[in-house]
Amino acid sequence: MSLVLINIQVIAPDCPLHQATSVGINQGVFVDPTSLIGADVFDGQGAFLIAGLIDLRVNLREPGLEHKGTIASETRAAIHGGVTTVVATPNTDPVVDSPADVRLILERAKTSGLCRVLPTAMLTQGGKGNHLSEMAALIDAGCVALAQGNQPFGSRKIEFNALKYAQSLGIRIILDPESQDFAGGCAHSGQFGIGLGLSLNSPLCEILGLGSDLDLVEATGVNAHFSRLTTKTAVVRLREAKAKGLNVSCDVSLAHLIYSESAISSLDPNFHLERPLRTEVDRQALIDGVKDGTIDVIVSDHSPHETGAKLAPFPETETGMSLIEGVLHLLIQLDQSGDLPFECSLKAMSSHAARLIDRDDLGQIIYGHPADCVLFNPSKSTTFKEPNWTSAGSNSPLFGKTLPGAIIAAWIDGQEVTI
Amino acid sequence: MHGPAALQLTSDGRLKHLLTTEGLPVSLITELLDTAETFLSSQGQPVKKVPLLRGKTVVNLFFENSTRTRTTFDIAAHRLSADVVTLDIRTSSTSKGETLFDTLKNLEAMQVDLFVVRHSAGGAPFFIADRVTPKIAVINAGDGTHAHPTQALLDLMTIRKHKGDPAQLSVAIVGDLKHSRVARSLIHGLRGMGCPDIRAIGPGTLLPDDLPQLGVHAFNRIEDGLNNVDVVVLLRLQKERMTSALLPSEREFFNLYGMTELRLAKANNNAIVMHPGPINRGVEIDNRVADGAQAVILDQVTNGIAIRMAVMAMTISTQQELKS
Repeated sequence: MSLVLINIQVIAPDCPLHQATSVGINQGVFVDPTSLIGADVFDGQGAFLIAGLIDLRVNLREPGLEHKGTIASETRAAIHGGVTTVVATPNTDPVVDSPADVRLILERAKTSGLCRVLPTAMLTQGGKGNHLSEMAALIDAGCVALAQGNQPFGSRKIEFNALKYAQSLGIRIILDPESQDFAGGCAHSGQFGIGLGLSLNSPLCEILGLGSDLDLVEATGVNAHFSRLTTKTAVVRLREAKAKGLNVSCDVSLAHLIYSESAISSLDPNFHLERPLRTEVDRQALIDGVKDGTIDVIVSDHSPHETGAKLAPFPETETGMSLIEGVLHLLIQLDQSGDLPFECSLKAMSSHAARLIDRDDLGQIIYGHPADCVLFNPSKSTTFKEPNWTSAGSNSPLFGKTLPGAIIAAWIDGQEVTI
Repeated sequence: MHGPAALQLTSDGRLKHLLTTEGLPVSLITELLDTAETFLSSQGQPVKKVPLLRGKTVVNLFFENSTRTRTTFDIAAHRLSADVVTLDIRTSSTSKGETLFDTLKNLEAMQVDLFVVRHSAGGAPFFIADRVTPKIAVINAGDGTHAHPTQALLDLMTIRKHKGDPAQLSVAIVGDLKHSRVARSLIHGLRGMGCPDIRAIGPGTLLPDDLPQLGVHAFNRIEDGLNNVDVVVLLRLQKERMTSALLPSEREFFNLYGMTELRLAKANNNAIVMHPGPINRGVEIDNRVADGAQAVILDQVTNGIAIRMAVMAMTISTQQELKS
């Protein structure tokens, strides 16, 4: 199938096609529109075309937690948020730790998924932190990286061994920096968490965890990605580590760029997150980190839940919010609020993210690359409510809200995805 | 959504739940204290009951152990002629897997009028009032380290009775403020009544980090903190503070912060000594102070019943008006 998108504005920073007004798609890849004769024409009426967003941290919930979400429901939600590639966490039930699990997810994604699904698996068997997973087999089965999810390692020695082994096989690992001594707590240990009498999580939890993780990364030379930074100190440490030449990258969750600890003042359980929202100073430092490239990518940390998971007093609710459906809209909002220029956040969720999963063919609009793209109108808006809500989890601060941006169409491998 | 401070008031400022003393207007605090004092005068009578809540049903929901607070709520409800049901949650349906939400929905369907809630999770009474049973009055009888508003009100009542308007007083709170919902609620209440000088006294491990935001001056040395205060509030020290390495021993705590006659002499003449109870003699307080003329600890208990009567009467009356 051939298609020419006309009357559009391509937003592809650092790509030669940036600000082009037309682009062609043929046999699944971007092509020069003048090379296509007799192709279908799609009039974008002035809308913006971007590379499909890549989300490096998505809890798809399948297999095992289908009451919270399925590959079908959550990949549909992803498309609604302008995301065409999701990297799935291994936090399913049971966790992903065998090639069979990986193949199952890829098979389900093929039959019921609406966007690209790239799995990750656990570094240790069962995610229990004691025995190494069959790392080579997991990568062969299709994993783009290995992670320890939200589970601790049995010891720093075991973590060292896992990192060393992964390094020797050239495998990228994803770490959630956390010191077990300071783990736990449902709110940042600042004035809001203290004032509401909630169990507290100190920034030291992340800072001490990151410190020893960085030492192990330096000792092993492994290619490490640190996920969900929340503190200013962590941004500073990563900046120093990069300057020192360590093989590290990192991400921040979209929620931590938008909200700070004051969001919990209403005890809305949607703001009960695995990594708590921290101070406004931290939020600004995270934004600055994205701007100067210290923070490579932005993730949604999409975590859909069934209604009952959030129907309890704040500390007793399950953690996480369903956010993927509004990713593109939130990036536009961050631009309009003056917090983060769209071109900057776009790169963080496209070309930068593609690089970290060794898929340089994705995340850019370049002739010959897979035609994963999203057409949207930045001057229209979207209201997030039933019956248009697609994620199985309604545990979202977006619910009932109107955000800037309206997605018109999305293509994956040149095929239009019905949204 | 909105926080506990906003949810407990109607749009025209009346009390429909009592979840926290934070943001409680001075007019409302004064009205509650005045009402409690009228109940107090009836408590010396041979027949202590008043028929204000006849036909109403009060349910005590204690998800956390409590003997003293539960008893005073029980007595307060009975003295208002309400029917009282106390649910022992450990033997109820929540231990059979029913969620808190469904347990409360069932109770709501039984047409009860007021829930008294104690829970280990901060914000639990707010959750009930906000998302489960908004048309039933909810009184917070202690939630996590968040709030214990009726204790704070009875403390304010005791202070006002013995020392006058808190807006003219210096108040020192001694001990484990970090884990104390009593201290936090009292601080909010004192601030609401315009108290100009609130002090926190304790070691660094037992003082919360948000004292500056609360307008409270922190003192690590008790001799400095007690200087010229009118009211001394001691807090109960839990044994688990030693096992979690926040303190070396009860003995060291008493040596540094225990209220002795010598230390009390630093305070103003006739300063009062309060304690939410139960007291640990030889830990927070010396025997001679506990049994001395300046201690008003048992008076606090008496005032507690009157305050709880006032809060129950006011919240149920507001809910009734909202329904009609």
